[in-house]
Amino acid sequence: MAKDKEIIDGCLTGSRRDQELLYRRYSPKLYAVCLQYAGNTEEARDVLQEGFIKIFENLSHFSHEGSFEGWMRRIIVNTALERYRNRYYLNRVDDIDEVTEPEAEPDTDDFAGLEAFDLLNMIMELPPKYRMVFNLYAIEGYSHKEVGEMLGISEGTSKSNLSRAREILQKKVMILTGVTKRMVHV
Amino acid sequence: MFEREPNIDIVFRNGLKNLEVLPPADVWDNIPPMPVKHSRLRIISGIAAGVAALVSLSLLATWYVRNNSTPLLLSEVTAPGRDIRDVSLDIAKAAPVTRPAEARIVNLPATTAPSEPAGLSDMPAMEEAPTELIAYADLPERDVLPDEPVQLFSDEITIINAGRFKGAGENLKTTLPDLKGAKADQRFLLGASLSPAMGFSRSGDDARLAELINSEKSRPAYTTGVSVAYRISDRLSIQSGIGLSSIGQTISDVAVYAGLSDYYSVKSSYLYSVETAAGLILAGNTDLYLADSKARVGTLIPGNMADPSKYRLTQVGSDIQQVFRYLELPVMIRYKLIDRKVGLNVSGGVAYGFLVDNSAYTGEGSDLIRIGHTEGVSNFNLSSQLGLGMEYNISHKLIFNLEPVFRYYVTPLSEISGSLYKPYSVGFSSGFFFKF
Repeated sequence: MAKDKEIIDGCLTGSRRDQELLYRRYSPKLYAVCLQYAGNTEEARDVLQEGFIKIFENLSHFSHEGSFEGWMRRIIVNTALERYRNRYYLNRVDDIDEVTEPEAEPDTDDFAGLEAFDLLNMIMELPPKYRMVFNLYAIEGYSHKEVGEMLGISEGTSKSNLSRAREILQKKVMILTGVTKRMVHV
Repeated sequence: MFEREPNIDIVFRNGLKNLEVLPPADVWDNIPPMPVKHSRLRIISGIAAGVAALVSLSLLATWYVRNNSTPLLLSEVTAPGRDIRDVSLDIAKAAPVTRPAEARIVNLPATTAPSEPAGLSDMPAMEEAPTELIAYADLPERDVLPDEPVQLFSDEITIINAGRFKGAGENLKTTLPDLKGAKADQRFLLGASLSPAMGFSRSGDDARLAELINSEKSRPAYTTGVSVAYRISDRLSIQSGIGLSSIGQTISDVAVYAGLSDYYSVKSSYLYSVETAAGLILAGNTDLYLADSKARVGTLIPGNMADPSKYRLTQVGSDIQQVFRYLELPVMIRYKLIDRKVGLNVSGGVAYGFLVDNSAYTGEGSDLIRIGHTEGVSNFNLSSQLGLGMEYNISHKLIFNLEPVFRYYVTPLSEISGSLYKPYSVGFSSGFFFKF
């Protein structure tokens, strides 16, 4: 199997074959990221397409110092954010939702049987503003300050959105796994 | 408390970490080929190298002209007795000269006009010092009326002994400024030329590109246009103008069928693509079905939705003509190695081309069917050109030029195949130039 560097070099000389090779190798992982942020398949395919165009356009700037997959993932995430901002910025409600105290959580072992697709579907079903904050904070590891800057919201809003997202997801997970019942009966 | 990482976060992070979902098949088809970015430094270096080459050529030519040219430009010599120049030429002292056996003697007008026309019989003996003879000319065979001035080019006249001119203390050149004549006034040349050529291309080490080039044949290329040249000196001229050049390939063994729109309607801008060395041909004509056996044809039609090969379609072609036309602005330097009636010259320079036509066709003659265009072709190119040609002076004002020309594309034609695909051509340029 060709190394990433060889494929990147091939892409930089304009080889369409290498571009396709790069796409085939990484598009499944990146498409999952797109779905996570986009919420539906139509939007996700647009993000993937737009993201890959940017990846190819900026390939010459990749310094080979960090993870190539991580570099591509950041481009995809930024593309998704850009689209989100363009779509929702004018309609956003900049109020600070009431911050609710998270309930006591079950242990992660209780969710061991969850399939990745189930988790993905749960995220996709989240309202956009909750989904974006949860993805950026919980999955990507950004701070609330960074999330606020990325989405054009305040830190407080980021926190409350995250809290709400967690609450929704927790309920969904519990329903899916039957943990609620057990917890109730315990 | 929010900074504490709740378990739900870990569940999702770990659960989604290695998730892969196959994207829809058509996403890749909608991602355009990646343009190859040429560094500015490389472009600037290329242009600088071209300019440096031109300057060097000019300096070299100027140096050669200064060191080898005849100091006297005589364009008119008349038979003695006809006073067309009011010039005082008294030879004060002249050394005996030896007359070449085949030379005819021509006397320049003198203050005291000789009573007899010049001729070979007038040639003095070796021992006698000539009183009026200053030059002999190797006169070409021309039909000249007795009263008409004879036009001579500078290389047809040899100064035997200019000596010193009485009273003036000046040399012949400064005493006869008006004898420089008409040739010096004809500084401009206006011409039209046609240059048919055959194109070639090289693939470098790229195996796929080599494979594609092997399945393509260069179409006859041509360049035509009008040009204006300015004579910097007798031998050196700079030339520019405007032209149209056409190059292209024939992509062989691609079967093209018409009638697909009767069975399959689409919203996309193209249905089929064909990989070529110069880029990806996108078949915007969605009535066509394309097929080949060399994995060059791609399609947006999902395999499980339709199989056009089973439809009743009409074959309209078995290959694709890929044509690119450029509007060109050349800048050339031309130097005459031999400046005679039949001369020899060398030329070199660069041409800037702007893409004005990018088409792909199939069929022949009047049955040409447009397929689409090639994606990723550069809108601009720079080519260098070198020629060594023959020049024939048909008359005082008209020149015919014929020269073999080698042309090399400095910038690649295609942004897709990058620096690997740079065609070159060898051809003949011929044209007429009018002096004024």
